[in-house]
Amino acid sequence: MAKSYDYLFKLLLIGDSGVGKTCVLFRFSEDAFNSTFISTIGIDFKIRTIELDGKKIKLQIWDTAGQERFRTITTAYYRGAMGIMLVFDITNERSFENIKTWIRNIEEHAASDVEKMILGNKCDVVDKRQVSKEQAQQLAAEYGVKFSETSAKDGHNVEEAFMTLAKDIKAKMDRKQQENNNGGGSHSSPNVHVGSQGGKDKKANANRSFSWCTLL
Amino acid sequence: MATNDNQEVQSASDSNHQLTADGKNAQMIICPNCRCKILLKKTAELVNTDIFLPYMRVKKNTSNQESGQVDGEQLSQFWKVDNMFTFENVGFTKTVGSSIKYLICADCEIGPIGWHDINDKTTFLIATQRIHYSD
Ligand SMILES: Nc1nc2c(ncn2[C@@H]2O[C@H](COP(=O)(O)OP(=O)(O)OP(=O)(O)O)[C@@H](O)[C@H]2O)c(=O)[nH]1
Ligand SMILES: [Mg+2]
Ligand SMILES: [Zn+2]
Repeated sequence: MAKSYDYLFKLLLIGDSGVGKTCVLFRFSEDAFNSTFISTIGIDFKIRTIELDGKKIKLQIWDTAGQERFRTITTAYYRGAMGIMLVFDITNERSFENIKTWIRNIEEHAASDVEKMILGNKCDVVDKRQVSKEQAQQLAAEYGVKFSETSAKDGHNVEEAFMTLAKDIKAKMDRKQQENNNGGGSHSSPNVHVGSQGGKDKKANANRSFSWCTLL
Repeated sequence: MATNDNQEVQSASDSNHQLTADGKNAQMIICPNCRCKILLKKTAELVNTDIFLPYMRVKKNTSNQESGQVDGEQLSQFWKVDNMFTFENVGFTKTVGSSIKYLICADCEIGPIGWHDINDKTTFLIATQRIHYSD
C-alpha cells in the first residue's frame, strides 16, 4: 500500500520531574477535554501530522517520566528516537542544571545523530524565574542546540518548537540523502525515511520490560 | 459543557457516515468535540465487531468508580485502519490490562474514541458513534 506521508519522526520529551513535559505535549489545545477515565490511565504518545516544504511529516511524540528512578532506563527509552526535546523549568534552577545530565545520558544511550532542542518551560511564571534567558542560550550554544522558552499553560512557542525540531531533523535527513545520492549514482529516493537504527539499539530488546505506565 | 453525565457527544446531522464504492470513508473523520482531523477521506474501512468502550463523559464520584468498575457500552461499528501512521492526529493511552490501548483526540483528548490491541499490530479501530464527519 502506498504510504500517505513522506517522513516519520519519532520524538521524545525528557527532563526532570515537574518541568511540564506532559503538559507541553498533551495540552496543545484550549478546549481540552476533562475525562477522568483517560487522565487516570494516562497517555503514551501522540501522532501528529504536519507539513513542511510541501512534505507530509508524521510525528510520533512520546512523553517520558522525569523521576529519578527512571533515569536508569537507558537504551529502550531512546530507541529509534530522531529528535529529543530537553525540557527544564525556568522557575527551577536545578532542573536547568540537570539538562547537562540529561544530555550526557542521551550521548551515552541515544543514536549519535539524534537532533536535540532545549525548552525553558513555564515562561509565563515571570515572578518566580530562576534561570535567565541568557543563561539558557549560553548553555544551548555550548552544546550546539537550539533553545526556546515555552509555556504549556498559554501555549506560547510550543507548536513552533516542535516545528523547529522537525525541520532540523528533516534538513539533516535531506542532507544525508543528498550525500548518498551523490556518492551512490542514480536511484530514486525512498518514500519514507525512518531513523537510523545504529549499533547502540541492539541492546534495546533486553530492556523491553520497561513500562511507561507507572507515572500517573 | 463538561457537566453532561454519561452522554456521548452526538449530533445527527454530521454523524451519519457515507461510504465510497470500495467501502472506505467518503468523508474526513474529525473529533466530535474540537473538529481536529483524525482520518482523511478514503483511509479507513468500515467493519462490524463488538467492542466495549468506556463512556467518554463519566460523572466523577460515581459509585461505580469506587468499586473500580468502568461505565461504558458495547459498540459494534468501527472504522479500521491497519497502520497507526494512517492517522492524521490521534493519541494512544498507556496500555490497560494486558494489551489494550484506547485512542483519543490528539488535541482535546476526548475519548476513548477508539481501540487497539497491541497484540494485533494491523488493527486500529475508531468507533463510528464517537466521531463526526467533515468534507
Ligand atoms: N505555570 C505553568 N505551569 C506549568 C506549565 N507546564 C506545566 N506546568 C505545571 O507543572 C506541573 C508539572 O507538569 P507536568 O507536565 O506534569 O510535569 P512532567 O515534566 O510531565 O513531570 P514528570 O511526569 O513527573 O516527569 C503541573 O502542575 C503543571 O500544571 C507552564 O507552562 N506554566
Ligand atoms: Mg509527565
Ligand atoms: Zn478533539
